[in-house]
Amino acid sequence: MTAVIETEGLGKRYRTKWALAGCTLSIPAGHVVGLVGPNGAGKTTLINLATGELAPSAGTIEVLGGRPAAGPAQLARVGYLAQDAPLYAGLPVADHLRLGAHLNPGWDAKLAQARIGRLGLDPKQKAGTLSGGQRAQLALTLAAAKHPELLILDEPVASLDPLARREFLQDLMEAVAEQEVSVVLSSHLISDLERACDYVIVLVDSRVRVAGPVDELLDTHHLLSGPRRDPASLPGGLEVISASHTDVQTTLLVRSRGQVLDPAWTVSEVGLEDLVLAYMRQAAGPAPRDSHRHLEVQK
Amino acid sequence: MIWLTWRQFRAQAITAAAALAAFAILLATTESHLSSMYDSSGLLTCHGGACAGLASQFLDQLSSGGGSFLIPAGSTYMILYFLSVLVILVAPAITGVFWGAPLIARELEAGTFRLTWNQSITRTRWLAVKLALIGAAAMAVTEAFSLIQAWWAAPIGKAVGLGGGSSIFSEGRFGWFVFPTHGITPLGYAAFGFALGVTAGLVIRRPIPAMAVTLAIFAAVQFITPLWIRPHLFPTSRTVTSIAAASANVSIKANPRLAFTASVVPGQPGAWIMSSEGVNAAGQPVRTIPVSCEQAVLGALGSHKGPAAGVPGASAALNNCVASHGIRVAESYQPASHYWPLQFAETGSFLILALALAWYCFWRLNRRRS
Repeated sequence: MTAVIETEGLGKRYRTKWALAGCTLSIPAGHVVGLVGPNGAGKTTLINLATGELAPSAGTIEVLGGRPAAGPAQLARVGYLAQDAPLYAGLPVADHLRLGAHLNPGWDAKLAQARIGRLGLDPKQKAGTLSGGQRAQLALTLAAAKHPELLILDEPVASLDPLARREFLQDLMEAVAEQEVSVVLSSHLISDLERACDYVIVLVDSRVRVAGPVDELLDTHHLLSGPRRDPASLPGGLEVISASHTDVQTTLLVRSRGQVLDPAWTVSEVGLEDLVLAYMRQAAGPAPRDSHRHLEVQK
Repeated sequence: MIWLTWRQFRAQAITAAAALAAFAILLATTESHLSSMYDSSGLLTCHGGACAGLASQFLDQLSSGGGSFLIPAGSTYMILYFLSVLVILVAPAITGVFWGAPLIARELEAGTFRLTWNQSITRTRWLAVKLALIGAAAMAVTEAFSLIQAWWAAPIGKAVGLGGGSSIFSEGRFGWFVFPTHGITPLGYAAFGFALGVTAGLVIRRPIPAMAVTLAIFAAVQFITPLWIRPHLFPTSRTVTSIAAASANVSIKANPRLAFTASVVPGQPGAWIMSSEGVNAAGQPVRTIPVSCEQAVLGALGSHKGPAAGVPGASAALNNCVASHGIRVAESYQPASHYWPLQFAETGSFLILALALAWYCFWRLNRRRS
């Protein structure tokens, strides 16, 4: 199966600052990919490179095997819901659907109508007067009804209240199930994505920290706890992602290929949220008490 | 894409159509009276020198008489004439500012470019359709204003052409306000104004500042063109003639410098005189009023502080004195036959400029893609 997004040493520089650097990824098709990282980590930059809004400063990126936004055919294969779900405030819902119908040869009018009906949107209502949740739903309808092979969503739920978030994600999952589309969605909150994603990319400080299918990540990461000791004394084959110590106890999050068999440790499963947070904290520096970063992550 | 362009442009199109309709109705209701005044002015049957006098009389009548149910009597036609010319003059600026500048800038500011440019249509196609349709609309509207006004003002134009020069309508076809508002130049200005607005919007990325910049640049271009561009679009002709033959007056304002205000090129009716200067019998320029003409200068100054034209006697004495020193007038001008070549040259220049701006927009819009 071809990769939906394949990057090689991809980087984007704004003047002197690298917003994204050394990004090498190969996202297989058929996944719902969560792109997680704190604000300013480079998520939107990566997405803008994937949609062709930006050109790379370094490296290469291919989307569905083609150059992003290379032509009408390539554009037709990618559906995109930009941050804050931009819509024409002065145009009613029905005209947005008409826009989609006129600009996309593969437009599925039935699907669009059905979604609008199910969501209870009034076709005559102007987009500018819709609630945040409704805007996001309408924008998703536009992106989905062109029948893309890949759907990219940039912080689709960031501006929504908790109820609308849940509804939106549920709706997204239904659309994914119906259409067999690969999805990449970004969020600064792993909790948003935990239910929806089966593939995670953690992006911190413009670099990819970890990427892979959720199952595989959970299988290869373990939480070790035991009497206090120096993490350096661990057997080989273990990579310590995070370590925290109390006076008597040490807790480690490690990545390992096989089982951890050292009887001195109590081995337990790790949740996706803890795993992602550990990678974010690792990137922030060795001190786990970096409260600023911590807060941002937890926000 | 055509549908989207129309949907987003609908309100502006209706506004423009309404403005055009109001303009047409206003002029149409006054046209019959204007042309009947012309028919009864005697200009239809006049011969030779009599025409100029009759034409002036007709024009004077327009700027004082008239009166219709729309505008109080007094100077109806003068007001209408200048308002209508003004409308044609500012129409390209308005379409540039209100149609051109927000075209891309509003999409960029509202973020809706991310919506539209990610449908199955390239940015190039998106811009091409928008530029072509709305640009054509801007050109059509401006030219329509111009044609309606030309139809309405035909009697005035004819009277000016017959030599009616002493009134407020004295601007000929080459005049500052007449040339860029008649013929095909409105097409060039409209295309340029629109392309300028679109470009400013793309570069500045915010509609309001882009609108301000568009207006400023367009106004500057409109001001600069007749001063420095138009006279050089086509090679000028030059002739040396007597002060009397050029209907020239020695300007008392420029005293002691010798300067003329010439109004006629002998044998070249309707010519556009760009400059006139004094030359001696040998053809060398004379830059000062001869000292022996001081008495005549004082006479002209003493009775009137403005241009000598206001005081026929004193002015004529000064003219005669200067002429008696063998000083003649060298006029550089565009003959009337250059009107259409100049129209094409100016329109063509602005169309090329508009195309260059459009090309830049396409390039810049696609630049961020590698």
